[in-house]
Amino acid sequence: MNLSTSVGDSGITRLAIGGELDVITVTELRAEIERVLANRPPRVEVDLSSLRMVDSSGVGALVSLYKRVRAQGGEVVMSGLRDQPLAIFRLLRLDRVMIGGELQAGKQTA
Amino acid sequence: MLDRLQHRDHTLRSVSQACKLVSDRVESPEWKEFRLQVVSAVSEAFNNIVLHGYEGREDGVIEVEIRTGPDHIDVELRDWGASFDPNKIPQPDFDSLPESGLGMYIIRAFMSMRYHPGKKGRPNVLVLSKALEGPAPSRGKT
Repeated sequence: MNLSTSVGDSGITRLAIGGELDVITVTELRAEIERVLANRPPRVEVDLSSLRMVDSSGVGALVSLYKRVRAQGGEVVMSGLRDQPLAIFRLLRLDRVMIGGELQAGKQTA
Repeated sequence: MLDRLQHRDHTLRSVSQACKLVSDRVESPEWKEFRLQVVSAVSEAFNNIVLHGYEGREDGVIEVEIRTGPDHIDVELRDWGASFDPNKIPQPDFDSLPESGLGMYIIRAFMSMRYHPGKKGRPNVLVLSKALEGPAPSRGKT
């Protein structure tokens, strides 16, 4: 898994996750999520365009990120899902929050 | 325990390669979806055996047998860990955006599943099956 995080001037955090996010690599992501949450970001943008494969453990971590940022009053935007990760998100009905090809987890629509 | 999951990658590569044997429609959208679903389901099944079946154990054996035919694949996983009752695993409550309990749902959504719990030294046997569907004719290899 490739993981990179950057924080903009307004506190917006950009988290890019690439490669394979699974039960082995999710530990690294969960640690990064804790670091991100410690800053109480107003918005987290998750770039999944380089994510090749995700399993249920990885999905769980992303859902956790979504819930916890929102619980802090922030917003989560996920984008770039394709291929296997997109199929998994659709199967697990997480595409309920898709808007215009992007997952905007803070702004659910029908 | 997670170290053992590295063996999963060898299994998944083998399963992915085996998917190429079921059809001459390789790289078609239907086949790509077929392989995606088979690999995802087997990955979840392997994880479940290591994390739950062999929970608390330092080592364990998983035998994997892959059978292919025209437009069809069976992946059989045998283990000697704790067995489970598939009928007692609840469906996820999607309205609550669950963070766990999703693996079995993925397996069942993507493949047909038969499970035989082991008894008297015999292994638990999980057979995952899937047919490649689609309009184009196929010449599967055997």
